[in-house]
Amino acid sequence: MKEKVLLLKFGELFLKGKNRHDFISLLKKNILKKLKGIGCHLSETQGRLVLSDYNLGQEDEIIEKLKQVFGLIGVADAVATDAQLSDIEAEVLNCDFSGVKTFKIESKRADKTFPMTSMELDKHLGEIVLEKYPNLKVDLYTPNMIIYVEVRTNGKAYIYNRLHVCAGGLPLGSAGKGLLLLSSGIDSPVAGYMIAKRGLELEAVHFHSYPYTSVQAKEKVIELAKEISAYCGKIRLHIVSFTEIQEQIHKNCDSEYMITIMRRIMMRIAQKLAEKNGLGAIITGESLGQVASQTMQSMNVTNAVVNIPVFRPVLAFDKEDIMALARKIGTYETSILPYEDCCTVFLPKNPVIRPTLKRAEFLEGNLNIDALVQQAVDTEEILEIDTY
Amino acid sequence: MIYLDNASTTKMFNECADVHKTFSCNEYFNPSAMSAKSVEVSRHLAEAEKYILSRLGAKEGNIIFTGCATESNNLAIRGSLRTGDYEYVFSAGEHPSVENVAKRLQLEGYKVHFVPLDKEYGYVDLEKLKEVLSEKTRLISIMHVSNETGAINDLAAISKLKMQICPNAILHVDGVQGFMKIPINLRSTAIDLYSFSGHKIHGPKGIAGLYVKNKAALKPLFEGGGQQFGLRSGTENVSGIMQLKKAVELIDENKNLEKVKSLKLLFHTSFLKDALDAGLKINDFEGSPYITNLVFTGVKGETMLHALETEGVIVGLGSACSSKKAGNRVLENIGMRRECIISSVRISFNAYMSEDEVKTAAEIISKVYLDIKKRVS
Repeated sequence: MKEKVLLLKFGELFLKGKNRHDFISLLKKNILKKLKGIGCHLSETQGRLVLSDYNLGQEDEIIEKLKQVFGLIGVADAVATDAQLSDIEAEVLNCDFSGVKTFKIESKRADKTFPMTSMELDKHLGEIVLEKYPNLKVDLYTPNMIIYVEVRTNGKAYIYNRLHVCAGGLPLGSAGKGLLLLSSGIDSPVAGYMIAKRGLELEAVHFHSYPYTSVQAKEKVIELAKEISAYCGKIRLHIVSFTEIQEQIHKNCDSEYMITIMRRIMMRIAQKLAEKNGLGAIITGESLGQVASQTMQSMNVTNAVVNIPVFRPVLAFDKEDIMALARKIGTYETSILPYEDCCTVFLPKNPVIRPTLKRAEFLEGNLNIDALVQQAVDTEEILEIDTY
Repeated sequence: MIYLDNASTTKMFNECADVHKTFSCNEYFNPSAMSAKSVEVSRHLAEAEKYILSRLGAKEGNIIFTGCATESNNLAIRGSLRTGDYEYVFSAGEHPSVENVAKRLQLEGYKVHFVPLDKEYGYVDLEKLKEVLSEKTRLISIMHVSNETGAINDLAAISKLKMQICPNAILHVDGVQGFMKIPINLRSTAIDLYSFSGHKIHGPKGIAGLYVKNKAALKPLFEGGGQQFGLRSGTENVSGIMQLKKAVELIDENKNLEKVKSLKLLFHTSFLKDALDAGLKINDFEGSPYITNLVFTGVKGETMLHALETEGVIVGLGSACSSKKAGNRVLENIGMRRECIISSVRISFNAYMSEDEVKTAAEIISKVYLDIKKRVS
């Protein structure tokens, strides 16, 4: 009995001791959600998940989807046979060697009752390949082709020669839920992607300043949320009007502290939304020293108004690195559309680079912060975005 | 809603929709096919061509129907390229569908000149034009009416220069903002090619044309079944052409011009004094009455655009095709300061608006400006 299957490998999950089962259940749930609408069967064997009973020809589509599931490190288009040496031999010889000059066999024997060790199996299978194709050579270091043979404890052997690399990370939801500050720039969608990859589910908040910003800027953020939702799962997007707050700061505070105070109020609103929605952390796209509001001193002053953790996944990334990742996950093209967002109106000529907490607090004395924050939260618009 | 962005597009005449139905659902035959029905359709097209030629005041020549004015402009310019020691002359104020072709030609190694604009009125500087024209000039491409400022180029004077200096050159005019708005009589000019578009004159989108005086001098952009003298292969957009004809039939450009002149005057005199005192400036180039510019000192044009939309007034930010980019190259070319450029919006009228609408719009614009000005200062 042999059949085509997809063999799914997961990464660090095996490290998780007694929680392992929970992680795998979550991963399976996420995979099935991702593959909703595609007829298939997902089963588990020690250390692997096996996807079977899908329509042949649908592999590529399924693999592309699985690449967006955090927790998987690889997926192989494999043939499953009974764990009998004769079946394994037949399948190995059945591989397409056209154009191949050098090869190697890489066996794994999870089933210790199988009569040969991995090394013995490597050697044996190598020999029968050479017998049938005398022009081939074995190369253990840089072969043209590697044939993987996995003998698992479910009485099956899996043979494949190509592994598709997946996103890695931990299953979505395994780390809880956080609130992403999503602007229309390049950095924050990448930050959201990176933290979701560590298992955090996301809600997001976007601040807009209509009429100083355009409807297109808002549409752009919705588009970005859709793009990362393919990886990060369902995102509730909180759209908060920042217009009046900006006007008030503009009127009542020093212009060089404009951005500092804006950021502090955004953080307060974020914390309020986090508390209201049971979210355990705030995530921002700040990168150390990238702009005046992202210096260590600025972050210290903006951080001072919140008491939940603030995660900054791209803190130590160069802009080029962030851009490269944005291209990889597909948000770059949207991010560079020209519509300005909230951060770019009322821009002071010389924003303070090293603000002090004392000065920021003093200037905020001119504002009715609580009322402004409350009004912003009360008038939010919520969109449910789900492209997972 | 008061729509003041008619230079970007216009509301289609209802009559065009009826024509669309007729020529899509009833007279849907391919004009190139052999049946009597098809011959009938091709006769309609010939009549449409003849009619539009007559409205342009052309004595000879043809209309090549295209999908958009961008295509017409590309066909006019690329179709006129020749190998040899030739030069190509453009004004510095052209629409991107001309300007970007010109820039591409430069990259491809053609010798290209851009003639500066008059700093005060925004039309092409005729002295400077005279300087660059020579016997080597192959093509002159200058727009009729600026889509940004409304400035009108003196086509008679340009024709005269061409005939004096380079009578063999081809004169192309992008007439998109002038067609059926600023009366023209092609036979009294030396214009060889004239581009125009349907949706700017209350016709449908997706249909445009190029007047071609001498079709033998033009080369097609692409090859195919040889329709339209081989200059624009592909089955003709019959319904689009017939709708365009209908729109032209419904327009009386002389009457409209008078109407729009008075609308613009009314608009300019209806702003609230407080708003004018606060820094609202009329930046009029004394060109086409269909277009005027406003400068809102201290407020971004884009902010005004959004705030006005909330109050039901739709305005434009220069050419919609280039308004997504920062700044505005045409306004820069006429020497406007950057602060002024980012604070400007384009207002464009149509002849079917009421005086009430225009007056109300000026008042709303005044009030919104005063409000925003107060909020940002």
